Amino acid sequence: MTKLFLLLIGICFTISGFAIFIGNIFYVPENWPQPVYDFSKNPLTYEKVELGRALFYDPLLSKGNSISCNSCHSQFTAFAHVDHALSHGIDNLIGTRNAPALMNLAWQKSFMWDGAINHLDMQPLAPIANEKEMASNIDSVVKKLQRTKLYPTLFLKAFGDSIITGEHTLKAISQFMLTLISNNSKYDSVMRKQATFTQQEKKGYKLFKINCSGCHLEPLFTNQQFENNGLYVDATLNDIGRMKITLAPNDSLKFKVPSLRNIEFSYPYMHDGRFKKLSDVLNHYTSGIYQSKTLSKKLETPILLSSNDKVDIISFLLTLTDRNFLFKTDYSFPKELLLKQ
Amino acid sequence: MTKFLKTKIRIGVFLLFLISIYSNTKAQKSNDISVSFYPVFNNSIINFNQSAFYKTEINDSIQFNLLRFYISGIQLLNDHKVVWEEESSFHLIDANENLLSFLIHPSINISYTQIKFNLGIDSITNVSGAMGGELDPTKGMYWTWQNGYINFKLEGKCNQCPTRNNEFEFHIGGYQFPYNSIQTISLMVEPLKNIDIDIDLKKLFESIDLLNTNNIVSPSKEAILFSNKIASVFSNREK
Repeated sequence: MTKLFLLLIGICFTISGFAIFIGNIFYVPENWPQPVYDFSKNPLTYEKVELGRALFYDPLLSKGNSISCNSCHSQFTAFAHVDHALSHGIDNLIGTRNAPALMNLAWQKSFMWDGAINHLDMQPLAPIANEKEMASNIDSVVKKLQRTKLYPTLFLKAFGDSIITGEHTLKAISQFMLTLISNNSKYDSVMRKQATFTQQEKKGYKLFKINCSGCHLEPLFTNQQFENNGLYVDATLNDIGRMKITLAPNDSLKFKVPSLRNIEFSYPYMHDGRFKKLSDVLNHYTSGIYQSKTLSKKLETPILLSSNDKVDIISFLLTLTDRNFLFKTDYSFPKELLLKQ
Repeated sequence: MTKFLKTKIRIGVFLLFLISIYSNTKAQKSNDISVSFYPVFNNSIINFNQSAFYKTEINDSIQFNLLRFYISGIQLLNDHKVVWEEESSFHLIDANENLLSFLIHPSINISYTQIKFNLGIDSITNVSGAMGGELDPTKGMYWTWQNGYINFKLEGKCNQCPTRNNEFEFHIGGYQFPYNSIQTISLMVEPLKNIDIDIDLKKLFESIDLLNTNNIVSPSKEAILFSNKIASVFSNREK
């Protein structure tokens, strides 16, 4: 009897130790660093992930129930806001920056182009409250959720409590966002030796490693630092970037280095979406650098690329497209939950 | 049933009995001490909901509409040594909701002469993600455009303010160096007695030039200066 009991305890411990790796909800791809997110404070479960997914797609989070997170973060563009240089929110009001793609967030140290947000849990508070985005606030979101038929039951299943709190709401949204892992591009298959690059992609990869990987570090394709990449200041926005947060003149015009995964679909590019095509981006790095005091050291010596080189680099960048991620049904609109209402 | 088993059960029951006595006495071995805050102006307690007017030093009228702040990390000290610390110590004080006091439960057999606490939320808590209870972001004490708890909120009106409707608004926070605005306050106290603390807003506004300083709503040098001033107007209430 005692032995059986000990065995049971043993099994429980083993399961809880690996809880975050249950099934495919979350995993650390081979040769990737350990995630930054502290799962011990918010252990993943299917129920919480599903609740988070419903919240992500539910316009209830905005004033007048008009737009959802998905409005500016659509799956087929790697959860970015395609086609709009500056993202628009409620009543077609236009913000000041381009909504970034959402993927591999468990590895991300800070959020927003200027790193204003220090923790994934707290990220949704910003768009929920921004008057040009969802124009609501977490307190009224929680009260609205409590009044629905659907959510008290979902929160009960997920957190064992049908009384909805800000903490549980944010943790659930985090859970869904943590599951958005993109590691099944052609590049990844090549790294796993399951596929090979074409000659052109191979050349592009070589050029990429020489010219771009200082900031766009593999395997996440970002060093997560803030850099001034030599964009001239758009006088209609006068966006000083990171300096708005730290107030340090050293941080003027610096923005977070974005990941390049799924870049084929996350256009337009840069914090203000000023470039529509990847060729515009490469032309910027070879001949458009605007000199200023805080320009990244890595861009002080000009990048030299022939037009053939640029085509090769772009062919490599297209190998970062992860169709499995862009069309995975686990990430898409939860019909079974939201259409029933 | 064997004799051996019977003895085993008896011992077991006895042990359970001992445990229950122990846990009972343990539960009783602490005191309930109330810690209360009294926002005052000219020695009268401020009413935040009735828009009463108070007279400043230069005989101008001032009105207070909102006061809300966090107290955290409560410790009791004896001879500068910490003798008791409150676990998960976070209290939201809200004058408008009349939430101006809370209980602490120090162990019964310690002696202490001093209480120490933070005005605001420490930096580790600020970077630890979503939290519940007093720290739930639905409490309206969390910035959204940039992360971080608001340590202290004070809002009101004074004709001196060259602002819309003559309003002043102080939302003081910031946890990142060099704009960390958390303040530590320590006051002398007597063991076993309730702790009553005055917050003298007259004194605070004597040190502020409302003409120039009337709106601080983000982490900055001004916020740190202001938080220093607030901390200096906490004092023991005269009995």
